[in-house]
Amino acid sequence: MQLKISEYLKPEAIIMEIKAKEKLAAIDELVAHMVNNKLVSNGEEFIKALAKRENLESTGIGDGIAIPHARTNAVKGLLLAFARSPKGIDFSSIDGKPSYIIFLIASPENQKSEYIMALAKLSRLLRKHPVREMLRNANDPEEIMKIIKENEE
Amino acid sequence: MEFKKFLLMLTGDTDQTILSAAVQLCKDMDGKLFVLFVIEPNRVSRLASLTHQKVKIVYDKTEENGWQLLYLVEDEAVENGVWTSLHLEEGSALDITKRYIDTYQIDALLLKRKDESKRMFVSSTIPVIGL
Repeated sequence: MQLKISEYLKPEAIIMEIKAKEKLAAIDELVAHMVNNKLVSNGEEFIKALAKRENLESTGIGDGIAIPHARTNAVKGLLLAFARSPKGIDFSSIDGKPSYIIFLIASPENQKSEYIMALAKLSRLLRKHPVREMLRNANDPEEIMKIIKENEE
Repeated sequence: MEFKKFLLMLTGDTDQTILSAAVQLCKDMDGKLFVLFVIEPNRVSRLASLTHQKVKIVYDKTEENGWQLLYLVEDEAVENGVWTSLHLEEGSALDITKRYIDTYQIDALLLKRKDESKRMFVSSTIPVIGL
């Protein structure tokens, strides 16, 4: 099955400059943004699912990237959100460095294969140094979307 | 000796059958699970040559398969309340595994029982558990 992550990220799920300075506050801010834009119905349940995972692992995959994620019925379908932190946030990354780019992925409980595939595709995309640089320097949500669309395979 | 930190080493040859066993073992031992997928360039080149495909295509498939395996383990680990840390590296599986054992002070190495894993069993400085 071919899955394009760009199809699951909407401009209204992008925060160009997140205010939060620590990881749980960043997750709260991203989820609140998604609730305000009617992308998520049950923000509280969503945060609970994301926080559960954060307690059991580091979603900071290194190189300035964090991918908080969860399978939860608080969302109706596979969903992506993006946020950028100019100063970086401590996501307990495996390389000990702060995360500047945060991608959030969620799917309903019963969409495990799409969810795993989306995580794998996104992780692979973000291993590419030029992509990370472009995302850090992009000016608006449309540019973020364009970078992902043009660089995913 | 207490086993608290486990390293599950995966390569392009590993199938999914050992993932649940690794998670279950960590749950039973109340241990932390470090999961490492290694992309071996030699194996990628050999496979590309055997299947008449471009090296890049085989590399990309291997990497994507690697991430999928990592997230599959993680998903199961979270359901079972097991702490995980996911890693993907490129190079010699033997050298990288040794580095991880030292860096993260791993207590036991988890491997698929296969002839190819023999070199790990022989050279490892910590107990190796074949799943």
